[in-house]
Amino acid sequence: MEFGTQTIWDLLSGYQKKQFKPSEVISGYLKNISERDEKLNSFLQVRPEETLAKARALDAKLDAAQNLPLFGIPVAIKDNFLVQGWQATAGSKVLSGYVSPYTATSVQRLEEMGAIIIGKVNCDEFAMGSSNENSAFGPVRNPWDLERVPGGSSGGSSAAVAAGLATVSLGTDTGGSIRQPASLCGLVGLKPSYGRVSRYGIVAYASSLDQVGPFSRTVWDSARVLEVMAGFDNKDATSSKHPVPRYTEELKSNTKRSFTLGVSRAWLEGVDLDVAKSFEAALEVFKQMGGKIVDIDLPHTKYALSTYYLIAPSEASSNLARYDGVHYGYRTQSAKSSEELYSRSRGEGIGREVKLRIMLGTYALSAGYYDAFYLKANQIRRKIQEDFEKAFTQCDFVVTPTSPSTAFKLGEKTDDPLKMYLSDIFTLPVNLAGLPGLSVSCGLDSKKLPIGFQLIGKPFGERELFIAAHQYEQIRGEFPLSSMAKGKG
Amino acid sequence: MSLEKYEAVIGLEVHAQLMTASKMFCCCPNRYGSLPNTNICPVCTGQPGSLPVINKKAMELGVRAAIALSCEVHPESIFARKNYFYPDLPKGYQISQYERPYSTHGHIVVQLKTGEEKRIGITRIHFEEDAGKSNHESYGTLVNLNRAGVPLIEIVSEPDMRNAHEAGQYLRALHSILRYADICDGNMEEGNFRCDANISVRLRGADKFGTRVELKNINSFKFVEKAIEYEIQRQVFAVESGEKIIQQTRSWNSAKNITEVMREKEEAHDYRYFPEPDLPKLVFSLAWLDQIKKEMPELPQETSIRFKKSFELSDYDASVLTGSKELANYFESVVSHSKNGKASANWVMNELLGRLNAANKEVESSPVTAIQLADLICKIDSGEISGKIAKTVFEEMFATSKDASSIIKEKGFIQISDPIALESAICKVIENNPSQFAEYKAGKVKLLGFFVGQAMKETQGQANPALLNELVKKILDR
Amino acid sequence: MLSREEVLKIAKLARLTLTEEEIGFYQRQLTRVLDHIQDLNQVPTSKEGFVQHVPSDAQCFREDRVEPFLNHDGLINNAPVVENNCFLLPTLVEHS
Repeated sequence: MEFGTQTIWDLLSGYQKKQFKPSEVISGYLKNISERDEKLNSFLQVRPEETLAKARALDAKLDAAQNLPLFGIPVAIKDNFLVQGWQATAGSKVLSGYVSPYTATSVQRLEEMGAIIIGKVNCDEFAMGSSNENSAFGPVRNPWDLERVPGGSSGGSSAAVAAGLATVSLGTDTGGSIRQPASLCGLVGLKPSYGRVSRYGIVAYASSLDQVGPFSRTVWDSARVLEVMAGFDNKDATSSKHPVPRYTEELKSNTKRSFTLGVSRAWLEGVDLDVAKSFEAALEVFKQMGGKIVDIDLPHTKYALSTYYLIAPSEASSNLARYDGVHYGYRTQSAKSSEELYSRSRGEGIGREVKLRIMLGTYALSAGYYDAFYLKANQIRRKIQEDFEKAFTQCDFVVTPTSPSTAFKLGEKTDDPLKMYLSDIFTLPVNLAGLPGLSVSCGLDSKKLPIGFQLIGKPFGERELFIAAHQYEQIRGEFPLSSMAKGKG
Repeated sequence: MSLEKYEAVIGLEVHAQLMTASKMFCCCPNRYGSLPNTNICPVCTGQPGSLPVINKKAMELGVRAAIALSCEVHPESIFARKNYFYPDLPKGYQISQYERPYSTHGHIVVQLKTGEEKRIGITRIHFEEDAGKSNHESYGTLVNLNRAGVPLIEIVSEPDMRNAHEAGQYLRALHSILRYADICDGNMEEGNFRCDANISVRLRGADKFGTRVELKNINSFKFVEKAIEYEIQRQVFAVESGEKIIQQTRSWNSAKNITEVMREKEEAHDYRYFPEPDLPKLVFSLAWLDQIKKEMPELPQETSIRFKKSFELSDYDASVLTGSKELANYFESVVSHSKNGKASANWVMNELLGRLNAANKEVESSPVTAIQLADLICKIDSGEISGKIAKTVFEEMFATSKDASSIIKEKGFIQISDPIALESAICKVIENNPSQFAEYKAGKVKLLGFFVGQAMKETQGQANPALLNELVKKILDR
Repeated sequence: MLSREEVLKIAKLARLTLTEEEIGFYQRQLTRVLDHIQDLNQVPTSKEGFVQHVPSDAQCFREDRVEPFLNHDGLINNAPVVENNCFLLPTLVEHS
């Protein structure tokens, strides 16, 4: 049997019917990786023997498969998660060779529920980027078109699932790093509410914005992964005690609900024509389901980009200070003083875009600039949050395209940082406001590249997002697979 | 040099380690002296992905300190990151408090040797985590992170002190309060109570501060006053000879008895403080603050007042006996067994403390236990031995840790209160001193003392002094 | 445009050694981003209203319990150089 295009749902029902065993599934995915990933460069580490051994151990428990919600599911993990015994480079030379001494809470919860880690996947260095071209280990390519980027920063996570190298994957999203690559690769990508999933064990980029989320082919799969890993963690003081619903149970109901979707027309200016058309078509589907579309005003979202590029780099400049060559990671060979040991280890080990953001953040926090930059940005962040609060008095969700364009060519936006940053204009405000955002595919452009739209929910409103997106998905029908996932890469 | 023309302005910053079981932000033991890098985990070694979680007990001890130092406690405060690079700071930042510390506006009242009291203001108290320890060897710097993440409070005083004695008294009072309230063990050798001083000098009456020098590493009471004294004189001398005081950090060299430059203040540090995004606001509920207040242990000043009342002690005695919690506890234990406050106070202060000082020992390791000392006092009060003999017995107790009874028995120190035995001793003295006896009889009554002394000698000091006095007079006048 | 000195000052504070080529590159790139960020000055703000990103039901404290971490080797083995179970920074010829 061929593996690669199955969903969690497919694999779980196959296991229950004993159509196949975990070791067969895992072998199938490992085979796909060895055959296809040379072109994609999505995996940074696979450990076939350990992984197969785990799968074989599960083979023996096949009778009890239904007890584990992720029994025998191959999951790819972005390389900025720590998983004990695995590497965690976060796409940076400064962490090459670093072996995780402990396991991230989110990953631990997936493993406890039967998931099998198929490998660690590539990403933009320290999750900074929108194209996966900032990885120290080379760019990742889009399985829909190898000349194009898969999006970023979780480009490896999206490419791996889109190419059939993992059933689902985990990524992190600080400004769009799950939703944008999900959209560019034709997948479902969720950025949960801030505090919904523990951040313990993910390499921090911007602590007040980072969240963990899944990539999957279907909304149901996304709901399944979230219900397993979400919830309070006593190792993360910013994690919420808000109860975690059984999201997949909520998707069983056949009663259709209708929703009011808010659209901010001003925000949508400058979107590619194909994307705009597909987005309008998606809105039509919601209307068909009895939904309403209302105009809303989010006057401060236009400042989201500037706000984000002060807050995120400021936090990053501090979060990344630990990579100094003293306790772990890359150490220069050419230092003549301890000051030089820090500066050279960092100068040589850290890549171009990350250095830019570290310097930006260092500047924004430095004496004399704090009030004008960091403090000001946080005040505007509050206004962006208030805009959404107000909008949610008029609608259930705010809806946008996920990205203003479909997958672009490698090298197309690398010269000008702002051009690249603009890929995230629809996703950034969601992180700033701490809200959940779900990207779902809604069509293909003229070049047969996937287009996605984003549903933005109220805080801890993931349940409603899943219900709405699941209903949409049923009307939309199965989304096409990338050529590579069909085995024609 | 005319020191009198000048006055010093001194402010102290004290770092006190909190007596918790675990570290400030992780579950590693807060323990001194383990093997290097054994009390460590992902959090306190700054591994990627690790996150801090606040230790509730550390907060409670911090609040206790604030209450003990009459500070305002803020129900809401904020942890901030202080960013700088140092080998023993694994995250590249220290979690501390900056713009909004949990406590401000306190004071303590200290006793000066002039007999006056002085109120010293406390600007703020904030929480922070300790750094690790760097040991510099010839081949390199060895970093041990056992101490990294240990909970501290930093207590910043107002620049209210004007000389070394005031600074010393402030530090002693602070030390005693923190130990009394079980906040900090106060062990300076282990670095659990550390002090930095900011010192400047100015002409008396001037309102502008002089350039200030930061004095670090004065980690012993012995050195605090000496070091500050030296630094004041150095600055006055410099000013007098027309030099400019340079803003710098100096340290006390206890071998040479001087302060030395540690580093010049290059460009000012830019710590790029900002609110710690990994932690929520620090919120103390009013109910919890009330509970901490209710459960406050007795503070030295309160103990002192109680001692004065219950045992009729002088201000001075009470202040000496509450100098440390251990001493106060020792004294209380002596009194509770001896039921004689004044005698207990005298014995503890004069005999015990004197000997402990000479032997360079703390009261906790006193060779004579409180119960042993109380027992000795009871023996005096019951007349079993004389006060004079008791001193000899005590000396022996201090040397051997034996009970008073066994020493009295061994050495035959029982007080002689038998009138017949005493009479025979007195008669013997009279026989041996006929001329003095004659003089006495002739009216030189002053000689009474002479006969008492001789008779005491005759009994090897074991005579009951009151009885002996009475009998000598009686026999002489017979 | 940010001056060369300004870039070097920031790089020093951030402990980043830059090559000659990088200095010019970051002069341009930092300036580009900082120019864009100027748009925030159009938004009137007050001292209050600082965002609180942590969910209100997050738990502030943990109890004071010791739970030793067992994988010390995992922490030490990542160190570039270890001596006597300590992280070692070699003695370097300091020029400052």
